Amino acid sequence: MLFFKPLTGSIIVLALVMLQGCAFSRGTLGEDIRSESVAAIKKATTTKDEVLSLLGAPDRLLQVNSRDVFQYYRYDAKVGSLLLILINFSRVSIKSDDLFVILNREGIVEDVILSKRTDGMEFRFWPFGE
Amino acid sequence: MRLLLLKLCPVLLFTVLCVTVLGCNVVRITLNTPLTQNDVAFIVPGQTTLADVITKLGTPDSITESHAGVVATYRFLDMKYSRINFGWLLKPFSPVDTDLIISRTGLGTDALELLCDSNWVVTHQSFLRRLSGPRFNPYPF
Repeated sequence: MLFFKPLTGSIIVLALVMLQGCAFSRGTLGEDIRSESVAAIKKATTTKDEVLSLLGAPDRLLQVNSRDVFQYYRYDAKVGSLLLILINFSRVSIKSDDLFVILNREGIVEDVILSKRTDGMEFRFWPFGE
Repeated sequence: MRLLLLKLCPVLLFTVLCVTVLGCNVVRITLNTPLTQNDVAFIVPGQTTLADVITKLGTPDSITESHAGVVATYRFLDMKYSRINFGWLLKPFSPVDTDLIISRTGLGTDALELLCDSNWVVTHQSFLRRLSGPRFNPYPF
């Protein structure tokens, strides 16, 4: 155990000496999809007009299975960089939140599908492994 | 003398390592979480619905319609970039900045496509193309 303490100390000192700096960057595309607005949409009751007033115009309008599908999306990118004297490490993580609102022929909401992949996305520096 | 060499060996190895990785950049970009065959093993064509898939994998990136049915697509990307600038070796001796850079980018893209019938039951599922599993390798030749 006593052997490891000086070794750990040396590694920390070496890392501090070699560390030039670090950088955090973030980029987003689109507005945050508010969970309250999504919760206000009720299946078989909410109309197309109500969806539009709650969420605004969709980013993409699709026609699937003779139904209109409104797609809303938001992208979030987090960049972490570790700048050492000899070597620089960077890791860019990009994830999206997607909301699909499926409307039937009468313009009533049939289904609402939401997933927030950006929740819990962290700044990462280490580019190796997972 | 031998003991001295043994003590110097780690220092020499570290110096050699430092010199060879001078001006090195390692960058990785990931879009969404890459999916594997194990992640989609629960999908049984003809039984699993799109709602079941969404519960486990989240919403797809796109939903489109084809003659055969609805196609839901999950896209993901894994890019690895590494770069070495050997010009750094001359920095202490040269009045000008010289660069001798080698770099390489490996782009691994893939997508999971699900074909669903009119009742949103998955009838087929397949990966578009397997991730090539790029490695950090700056040697471009």
